[in-house]
Amino acid sequence: MPDDWDPEVYKAAPGRTPDPEPRTSLPNPVTIVQSLYNLSVDAPVTFFREWMERQHAKNRYYYYHRNYRRVPDLTECLEDDYLCFFEAEAQWKRDKKVDEEIVKIIQERMGACQQREGHSFVQNCAQEIKQFEQVAKAYEDRYADLGAAGNARKCLMKQKQRMIAERKAQAQAEA
Amino acid sequence: MAAMSLLLRAAAALGARKVPIHAAGGGRVSLLDRSILSSGIFAPVRHGSHGKKMFPITATKFYDKRFLSLLRFYILLPGIPIAIFITYVNIFIGEAELAEIPEGYIPDHWEYYKHPITRWISRYLLDSPEKEYEKMLALIDIETNKSDLRMKEKEARRLMRARGDGPWYQFETPDKNLIDYSSKATPDN
Repeated sequence: MPDDWDPEVYKAAPGRTPDPEPRTSLPNPVTIVQSLYNLSVDAPVTFFREWMERQHAKNRYYYYHRNYRRVPDLTECLEDDYLCFFEAEAQWKRDKKVDEEIVKIIQERMGACQQREGHSFVQNCAQEIKQFEQVAKAYEDRYADLGAAGNARKCLMKQKQRMIAERKAQAQAEA
Repeated sequence: MAAMSLLLRAAAALGARKVPIHAAGGGRVSLLDRSILSSGIFAPVRHGSHGKKMFPITATKFYDKRFLSLLRFYILLPGIPIAIFITYVNIFIGEAELAEIPEGYIPDHWEYYKHPITRWISRYLLDSPEKEYEKMLALIDIETNKSDLRMKEKEARRLMRARGDGPWYQFETPDKNLIDYSSKATPDN
């Protein structure tokens, strides 16, 4: 089963303590329903799952995440060196996937904060919102508008165009 | 049944007339009690539950039913053994657990996958991703060399044709002494 989330990042909302002096003598129907569910669904499923885990524990084996080496960038490739181009492209695609996951994680954090705070998210979540805006702006600068057939070469050309535009704006600002 | 015969007797007592068996209108006669038969009193009985028997005429469902039946059969024929096998693997063998790569250990290429069947396929049926990468690089290298040589050949041809000092583009011309200059003797031709 996947790990639980980091409690520092996704803080639990402050809970409401139950009333220590209930003024009714009627039983709480919520507890009845909970105990029914526990008996009929939770207990058998947990029992089966734990039996299965015991079977798994008899012969355990592991899997690892890949560690890719860094290869020279597209900027460091010589002309007509198609092998270098290929390796740089593969590295760029991997880096793009990593960046997409980073954006998703920051977005999820912001969403969790908003869900947690309710209507007061505007002031309480300011840091998460700022972080998300920064990350999304960076992603947009790097990868947006490349299209579905975007590759490392087109990305490099986009950065070149951006740098040219920046320098032009700077020159105009000085002049 | 007893109540029915009592009812018939009561109807008879109230003056029901003799009705023949094939009564007009198709009403059926209940031939229940021998005593009633012998007394000769019987009334037509119309059972309210059955109604008139009909034969509905609809389009045939034979081909559709046969098709669906065969479809289910041929899907489940390998499907059920595969499902049982996969359930067995998931329950008794189980998936791998994620771990950090230990120091100085290089995992085999199938040890990067979680599910045991994926690991088996990667180990015994497929080439490792490193090998696939190297195969792609080899193809690119071959094509690079081909394109390189072709460009060089084209450049050499162009230069030899332009300069005329190479072994290619040497055309055989006929001997100078065979040219007939007799038409040049007169100026106005």
